[in-house]
Amino acid sequence: MGRVAGALVLHELLERTRDRWVIVISVAFALLASAVSLYGRSADAEVAKLTGPSLVTLASLFAPLVAMVLSHDAIVGERERNTLGLLFSLPVSRIEVVAAKFVGRALALTLAIGVGIGAAIAASGVSERAALTQLLGPTLLLGLAFLSLGMLISSTTRRQATAASVVVLVWFGLVFFFDLGLLALLVLSDGAVPQQAIASLVLANPAGLYRVQMMHTFAGPEVLRELGMTAALPGASVLAMIWGAWMLIPNLVSGWFLAREKSP
Amino acid sequence: MKELTARGVFVQLGRVQALDDVSLTLNAGNATMLVGPNGAGKSTLLKVLLGLTRPDFGAFAVDGESARIGRDWKRRIGYLPEAVAFSENLTGWQQLRFFARARGVPRARVGHVLERVGLEGAARRAVRGYSRGMRQRLGLAVAILSEPELLILDEPTGGLDQEGLRVLWTVLAEWRERGRMALIASHDLALMERHVEQLCILQSGRLVAHGSADDLRRAARLEHRVWFEVDESDTARVRLLCEAMTKWGKGRVERRPGTVIVEIAPEAILELMEVQSGFPGAVRGLRVEEPTLDLAYDKLLGVA
Repeated sequence: MGRVAGALVLHELLERTRDRWVIVISVAFALLASAVSLYGRSADAEVAKLTGPSLVTLASLFAPLVAMVLSHDAIVGERERNTLGLLFSLPVSRIEVVAAKFVGRALALTLAIGVGIGAAIAASGVSERAALTQLLGPTLLLGLAFLSLGMLISSTTRRQATAASVVVLVWFGLVFFFDLGLLALLVLSDGAVPQQAIASLVLANPAGLYRVQMMHTFAGPEVLRELGMTAALPGASVLAMIWGAWMLIPNLVSGWFLAREKSP
Repeated sequence: MKELTARGVFVQLGRVQALDDVSLTLNAGNATMLVGPNGAGKSTLLKVLLGLTRPDFGAFAVDGESARIGRDWKRRIGYLPEAVAFSENLTGWQQLRFFARARGVPRARVGHVLERVGLEGAARRAVRGYSRGMRQRLGLAVAILSEPELLILDEPTGGLDQEGLRVLWTVLAEWRERGRMALIASHDLALMERHVEQLCILQSGRLVAHGSADDLRRAARLEHRVWFEVDESDTARVRLLCEAMTKWGKGRVERRPGTVIVEIAPEAILELMEVQSGFPGAVRGLRVEEPTLDLAYDKLLGVA
């Protein structure tokens, strides 16, 4: 990474950690996550087992939200402030700018997710801590996938308000309505769509992939088998490739989009 | 860098021919102003030189040697965009520190440059509390931070108060004194005229005229106004003077209380002096008024 890109990573981290919205959402996530942990700790053993799955539900809502709040203005914000040209006038390529912005914001996201899940781990009982620690990696991957999507939205829109609207729609679509849509597809097709296809579609959505992965971690493969998902959950290397693709492809498209823009 | 040349630059943006065969030479120690109506291509030309807009055709040279607009080129340029805003969450110092890191400028220079643009007192305040003029000054600080050989300023006077303008003029004077060059796009002809050596008028992507302010005035062929202060107590002599000037026929004569104004081509002024010398005592004093650069600009653009 060149000098300009390195400076941009630091700049982005500094700037994002001072954004009020990012701070508010991150603090809300940390408070809710620690409240769930505290409840699990104070309740009986059966309820305590549900702490992990409850945190998964919470994290599947908050991690994409924090990521998209962090990334939606990455490019379009600079465009509106008239600083995109200033940035591109530095001796740096446009794809490097996208990469540096992604890395800087990814560090801020790591901080937000680390604080949220860290607070939950700190508030949980000693017996739960090891299990809850397993949330960190996949939650970060989920966040990074949405961060990358946010970068794409930010690069392809001309106004920050438009980017914010699209980000909200994508968040609702992928986090809430995607599974409902699949359910509707199952009901309406009356079983004509193979279960394997539905399972693959679930995994095509980063939020779905995260939930299935976490279900596997906390409830075990037998629960997934009952849901017909085991066959669809790929091995570790394929999973890594899917997460990698979610992080790379939208960023590459962003870079390509900006690079082909004749006059920013 | 002693000379920077752009030759035959064409840029098509969608259906618009943003630049149409524009050629330009910038010289060390000179400031050049791009002027023209909205959409004339001023910002596009700046963006081409900044490496932001790819020209469809065009050749560039530095000191006579062919040059490519790449990273090395960009290292030599400082840029102030139009109505720059910056991130609201960071302080002026943090903003400038980022650009210093990116350009490899020592940390100590950040404070020096903030002082240079008169923002040392606001350096630790978040930009959200800055006025438009302060943001513009911060933008100027970013542009001069790495002491670039070419300073490109897009509408630099926007939002600046008297103090801000003084800072801008001082920076421009210093840049020229040190043998560097500046290229400025602005609508503010009257303000900028005294601070630039060369003006380039663009219209619909074409370079309509270029040269010094005097060159443009000459090219516009506008009449000068010669104001004669006359002795009203000798009305007969003043009347005769007016009649002689009218009869002479090379200027338009206007009579006002205490004054006779003649609109005339500059080359006929000496002849006019000879006409008025035939009426000794009628004229107490005179003043020659050049046409304003705004008028020359309008004439050259065909709007006057």
